[in-house]
Amino acid sequence: MSDTLRARSTYTAVSHLDPTLLHQVVLMKNPDVQATNMDGETVLLDLSTGRYYTLNQAGSLIWELCTGKQTISDIHTALCNRFEVLPERALDDLVILANQLTQEGLLQQERR
Amino acid sequence: MTVVERPLSELHFSLYGTQVRYVTASPVLATPVNEFLRHFRQEVLQSSVPLTLYFHAVDHRADIPVIISSSAHQLAIKIGAAGEGGPETDLPYEVILDDGRLIADFFGVGVLVVDSAKGRADGYLINPQMMPDGLIEYLFHLALTELLRRRGLYTIHATALEKNGRGVLIPGNSGRGKTTSFLSLLRSGYRYLSDDHPLLRDAGTHIDLLPFPIKINVTEQTVGFFPELRTASAEVLQPRFPKRAFYAEDLYPTSTGDCCRPALVLFPHVIDAPHSHLELLPKSRALEILLPQALLVYDSEVAKREFQVLAKLIKQVDCYRLHFGRDILELPQLIAPLLEERM
Repeated sequence: MSDTLRARSTYTAVSHLDPTLLHQVVLMKNPDVQATNMDGETVLLDLSTGRYYTLNQAGSLIWELCTGKQTISDIHTALCNRFEVLPERALDDLVILANQLTQEGLLQQERR
Repeated sequence: MTVVERPLSELHFSLYGTQVRYVTASPVLATPVNEFLRHFRQEVLQSSVPLTLYFHAVDHRADIPVIISSSAHQLAIKIGAAGEGGPETDLPYEVILDDGRLIADFFGVGVLVVDSAKGRADGYLINPQMMPDGLIEYLFHLALTELLRRRGLYTIHATALEKNGRGVLIPGNSGRGKTTSFLSLLRSGYRYLSDDHPLLRDAGTHIDLLPFPIKINVTEQTVGFFPELRTASAEVLQPRFPKRAFYAEDLYPTSTGDCCRPALVLFPHVIDAPHSHLELLPKSRALEILLPQALLVYDSEVAKREFQVLAKLIKQVDCYRLHFGRDILELPQLIAPLLEERM
């Protein structure tokens, strides 16, 4: 699960998500972001900045589920069902990635 | 404004159904472009909506009649002096987007203004009579590339060859073995598509690779690898500082290849080893490496389509890292089985 995102830039992850609200927060893709799946990995291009990113398989599943319908908790459950991973580790990686993608402007977070 | 009015020369070209008009009053600006697009010349334009490029010779930078609005924003900048001893095209620049117009300012060299929506580009070159032909070609090609994008013809920074209807693309920056690997294949019977700027087009079910034949530029080091280049006459292998250049057909028993389906993409890098070898690349990694060789986001709608074309290309080909050793002339034997698998 580590190295979920390979970006063409470096940044510091900032924890934006309140862990107590994960069942209320949904994630939505920025419509300016183009994505293509390549053998399980996803390459993203942010049309507003020209920057591109690659998500590994776990990151790709997370991206796929950022439809504005599933909560972070739902995505966490899907991750645990798909990959052999400790639930705590999956949640940590999910929250870190959601924050990174939000900070990069690729995702929006919304509280339901 | 001291642009001297002279009779206009108008040249016509056809690039895969896209008609191009090139208009200039300066013979110095006409000749290199006419030579650059010599494979695409035509007498009469067939479309009522051609792409039009106007190139103007000016005496001073102050003569360039380009006004930039306050809402313009900078997209890219490269600072520094024009490279001493480096390629003539290694220039400082600033790229600005102004109300849909792309303005590329090359400071003391000139300015390009590309209005893709209108299918028009203007180039203002300062004292072009002092410029090498290669620089005029380069600036023209930049403007043309932007206009062609909007017509669904995408340029990729790669060399390209064709064999039995299958295309091989070799993208990469200078110094990574791109031209050397290309020449190694060309001399063994592959057909020539482009030394640096092949075109890609979405054909629906697949991506087509289209020829864009131009002069082949080689460094002295590359010349040293190939006996036929070492012994070529100065008439064939012409000086083109800091490199030399020749037409493929003057040196090799090759013809320009046809539009084909790309089958292989090789990403070369030179290694200090006797033998070359190939490493299969994951497709996501290949797309990641390819994007900087093709895609610049100026117009998001166009960039969106281009991104999808590049993704489709990578999905349809096999991608390899070519660890390019000293067995330069043996490369065709390494590549042949890969193409045979794709037949």
